[in-house]
Amino acid sequence: MRIGIDVGGTHTDAVILQGDKVLASTKALTSADVISGITNALDVILDDSGIAQSEIETVMIGTTQFTNAIIERRELAQIAAVRIGLPSGNGLPPMLDWPQDLKDALDSETHMLHGGYLYDGWSLADIDDAEVERMIQSMLKSGVKNIAIASAFSPINAEPEKQVASKILEAIPNAKITLSHSFGRLGLMERENAAILNTTLLPFADKVVSSFLGALKKRQLHCPVYVSQNDGTLMSADFVRSYPALTFASGPTNSLRGAYKLTGLKDAVVVDIGGTTSDIGVLQNGFPRESNVIIKIGGVRTNFRMPDILAIGLGGGSIVSADGSSIGPQSVGHRLVTEGLVFGGETLTTTDILVASGNADIGDKSKITHIAPETISNAQATLHTMLDSNIDMMKPGGKPMPVILVGGGAVLVTDGLQAVSNIHRPEHAGVANAIGAAIAQIGGEAEQMVSYRTLPRKEAIKQVTQIAVQRAIDAGADAKTLRTVDIEETPVPYMDESSTCIRVKVIGELTASISATANNNSEALV
Amino acid sequence: MKIELKHLEDLALGSVFLATGGGGDPYVPRLITEQAVKQFGPVEIIQPDDVSDDAYVVAIGAVGAPTVSLELLPSIDEAANTLRAFEQQVGRQIDAVASFEIGGGNSLIPIAAAAGRGIPVIDGDGMGRALPEAQMMSYAIAGVKPTPAVALDYDGNITAFSTKTTEVYERHIRSLAIAAGGMITTAEHPMSGLELKRSIIPGTLSFSIKLGQTLRENRGSARDMLEPLQTLFSDSIYGECRLIFAGKITDKATRIVGGYDIGEAVIEAFSSDEKPLKVSIKNEYLLARQGDKVVASVPDLIVIVDYETSAPINAERLRYGQRVAVFAVGCPDFYRSENALKVVAPRCFGFDIDYVPLEQI
Repeated sequence: MRIGIDVGGTHTDAVILQGDKVLASTKALTSADVISGITNALDVILDDSGIAQSEIETVMIGTTQFTNAIIERRELAQIAAVRIGLPSGNGLPPMLDWPQDLKDALDSETHMLHGGYLYDGWSLADIDDAEVERMIQSMLKSGVKNIAIASAFSPINAEPEKQVASKILEAIPNAKITLSHSFGRLGLMERENAAILNTTLLPFADKVVSSFLGALKKRQLHCPVYVSQNDGTLMSADFVRSYPALTFASGPTNSLRGAYKLTGLKDAVVVDIGGTTSDIGVLQNGFPRESNVIIKIGGVRTNFRMPDILAIGLGGGSIVSADGSSIGPQSVGHRLVTEGLVFGGETLTTTDILVASGNADIGDKSKITHIAPETISNAQATLHTMLDSNIDMMKPGGKPMPVILVGGGAVLVTDGLQAVSNIHRPEHAGVANAIGAAIAQIGGEAEQMVSYRTLPRKEAIKQVTQIAVQRAIDAGADAKTLRTVDIEETPVPYMDESSTCIRVKVIGELTASISATANNNSEALV
Repeated sequence: MKIELKHLEDLALGSVFLATGGGGDPYVPRLITEQAVKQFGPVEIIQPDDVSDDAYVVAIGAVGAPTVSLELLPSIDEAANTLRAFEQQVGRQIDAVASFEIGGGNSLIPIAAAAGRGIPVIDGDGMGRALPEAQMMSYAIAGVKPTPAVALDYDGNITAFSTKTTEVYERHIRSLAIAAGGMITTAEHPMSGLELKRSIIPGTLSFSIKLGQTLRENRGSARDMLEPLQTLFSDSIYGECRLIFAGKITDKATRIVGGYDIGEAVIEAFSSDEKPLKVSIKNEYLLARQGDKVVASVPDLIVIVDYETSAPINAERLRYGQRVAVFAVGCPDFYRSENALKVVAPRCFGFDIDYVPLEQI
């Protein structure tokens, strides 16, 4: 049996799953210390299900704590960003295009060193020992401990990053270092940004992971603990102490994965209707379809892949025009319970329309008897047309597709939708995120730029796959169960005909025997 | 007029639209140009007609694989140093620089060069869009020789070229780019003010800034963008602007042949009764067809934008499932001359059709 927990900014949700079956679920408030929110949720599900702690094999946690910390500019540590790539990029220092308030919050210093490699493995420049020494002296002076290192083409050759890291560790033994090649993808500035965001979260990650483990220990849960990543796979809780940035997109991913688990539909559109927006995503073969635009986290460009989500201004608190012909994007949001008409307020919202149409019994019906029947029917038509046309745009093909409705606002959909073959409203849809976390597997990913002229295609793919496999095993996967789920080959234009970017992703089951605290911190770092 | 920091974001955005799917992401060129303008000050922009006949002008830009420049970043003085190396090679001072391609990152590099070297940049370029080969440049079509030319790599290594034909220059410069880490900066096509006036596509630099401004200020659905775009284009060297299709990418397949990203994208209408639009790609979007009917073709501009925001989408970033709109824009008259069509007509890209100007379709 597994427990899935979703620690969001407002709510902490938890579920107990036996195979596919939801035995118990709950929604509690997230506490300031994180711990009591989790213990409260655990108390409810353990109590409701009557399951003993000893029967729980694993606990999976999804969290937006780290994304929120970046967005809200809190809990961020002082950092140094080190770029290895001179003479190239002179005049383009790290963090150049970051929002000023975030730079200020990080109290950052940047360094640029000679070194790195070219796409074909030729040395860009030699590392200059005196230059490195001057940088270390400056770090000793400022007392910075959290350091991000990125070198040109490090996904192809990471030696310069490792070499500079070991020199820093000799002089500053308690430094916490993130190397950019652990974030894989090509694109130096975006990879470097990911490493810096990760580095600045390291002390907070320690605190959060300790809170997670502390809360579970308090409830006598001693089984292995995992945290879900951007792509819907897991990492061991202690791995998060070194790689908190890998959780940035886990929220929407878990929601989509949970919708898949609740319905068994591998290919479907998922509409998560909240108070202010409807988030429309797409399941392809049971996993979220990924967006291919540059993703900004807190205003910073990164190379993370995130689910492709279309957010439209339509939710339970959206404001409806007097004639019902337009809805949103303005919303009364969480003030719905005071400002909506049925709650005695003065704003006409989609929830009021729903109640007036007789499809739900919420609040005080006598407050909405004055709404004209045309307004009600107009507003209902507007709402369904908005969803229909946007679902239609997200669908991969022209044919109608099944739609899974989740979120508190799902009740707003009262009629059929043209773009849709079937509407599914799964039970437990309110805790889809926690379910998505509970069903996650372990994965690993690697990307390299190769030339098939010098390295035959088969060999090249094998080589990249090996790196991905090693990453999955490091993250806690059982090597025997690993399988390749995606090989992406992108030819590189303007180069020789055989230049290609290969990206490989592998997924497998958790190692049953791995202990929650077996991973050693320093191993994961360098 | 001077090009200031505030113009560069709009210039970059407009240049992606004019790049018709090619040209590379101008994000990094924009950053380095911003740094150059911050350090050396705004750049004077002059109209081709205001250049004296005996002035000495070169075209400048980056050559290579945009994918590589995401790791091998440019340096602040790289473009200006390329000009200095060129001056040393020919033993003569340059009076102004011009862009060889307004589409994509090479709309910005001449500004970084001009800032660092303290000379003006000319309002215009050698394509009015993006095109894949040097012989398709208006400078080459008008008879300007590409060499003497000078290329600089990331480490300041200098290579000088003196070739007999534009085609050979193109082959050599590509080979050097591959050998020099994938990206080089070149100063080429030196010309007199007189030659410049008859070979340049005029006004495209200031136009790209205005285009970017229009796209930014009217950011929203492509259907709402059509009117402001038509207003802007009708009053320019381009003229006609049409919204030819809106729908979803249902297929995109490309492969690399001879260094070019060649393939096709299929777009199906949101309301599925219309025939799908097929767009042929060779780095740029070159041909749009519905069934057997040609809707637009090179040298006219075919631009694919995000349906909801009207942000132009580069061919490399185009993929299955995206919701897009397709605009077609008439090319400048220069490219409709018999001489120009010899090198940029659809047949030059392997399509067995005659060129029909957009307005006549």
